[in-house]
Amino acid sequence: MDLSLIKLAIGGLALLGCIGLFFGIGLALAAHKFAVEVNPKVEEVLEVLAGAQ
Amino acid sequence: MGGMNHNKFPAFGIALLAILLLTAGCEPQSRFVKKTAFKGSHDIIITFAAPVDAAWATDTAHYRVYEKPDPDIRLEVASSSLSKNGHEVRLHFQEELNQDQPHMVTVKNIMSGGKSLGTTVVKVKKLYLSFLFSILIGAMLIQNFVFTKYLGLCVFFGTSQKKSTAVGMGITFTIVMVFSAMMSWALYQFVLKPYHLDYLQIIVFIGLVSLSVQAVDTVLRKVNPLLFKAFGVYLVLVIANCIIMAVPLILADNEYNAWESLMLSLGAGLGFLVALFLMSSVRERLELANVPRTYRGLPIAFVVAGLFALAFLGFSGMSIF
Repeated sequence: MDLSLIKLAIGGLALLGCIGLFFGIGLALAAHKFAVEVNPKVEEVLEVLAGAQ
Repeated sequence: MGGMNHNKFPAFGIALLAILLLTAGCEPQSRFVKKTAFKGSHDIIITFAAPVDAAWATDTAHYRVYEKPDPDIRLEVASSSLSKNGHEVRLHFQEELNQDQPHMVTVKNIMSGGKSLGTTVVKVKKLYLSFLFSILIGAMLIQNFVFTKYLGLCVFFGTSQKKSTAVGMGITFTIVMVFSAMMSWALYQFVLKPYHLDYLQIIVFIGLVSLSVQAVDTVLRKVNPLLFKAFGVYLVLVIANCIIMAVPLILADNEYNAWESLMLSLGAGLGFLVALFLMSSVRERLELANVPRTYRGLPIAFVVAGLFALAFLGFSGMSIF
């Protein structure tokens, strides 16, 4: 097996992983900044309902 | 702080656009040949920096013209004429020129004021901006993704009941479209291609689309809750929209550059906006119309969409410039 090909594949996957991590952190920060307060009762009511749809 | 950013961003965009306008279409030409252009369907105009000799300019043996992809096929110059001030040579061809291809013109032994200035090769091509514009209009009307390719119908029928929702959806869609298409273009050109990961393109593109949809979802929930409520489930459905998946794949397939990608994605988004607007205008009226009971709701909407598709068929085969 050609070593350079393996290096290329690992490099590409590492780069893709880094990009994914970067965007993931970005989304998490955005979610934190634009957080909307949701009434906790809404979730409790939804939990009690049947929830087929 | 936020206000300052808002002011800076358009200024930056305008500066970028100005740079594009200045650089687009500029090809390094010979120093003595100032400009080359197609004129009409049969002529090429070459503009020189100084007057050239009439006896030299009107001899067609001094010009060799071919289309860039086929250097072996010489195009016959029927006649050449010089303008009054001696700056412009007009080459006339018997056959119509295919202006979609750049043409190479070899100008032999240029004579100006009795002196020879050597041989030069110049390129003649259509203005680049008009090519970009034709991509935009092509994606928007001639090859409208909804009406001629039947893509993205789920969101199209889901959010076209009310005009305000439809326009909001169209604008959001355009933003998501441009955002994700540009990101996927960059990722394809600079990561996937150099690392030979082309086979991962669909997975990567889906990830990017869901990223931008999630971002819009998060921001819109806070900024405009009313519109967010009106979109309902369809905002999330944008992830699975065929148009938003098709455009990055088309970009990767055609090897478009950044500006062409921007134009195609913008055209696809605006085309979807146009389609949604047209459809919602009709459907608002259909609410009041006396539609037979079996056709009420979605069935008549499909019939209307079919009629729109027929109307858009009128654009097919059209080419701009």
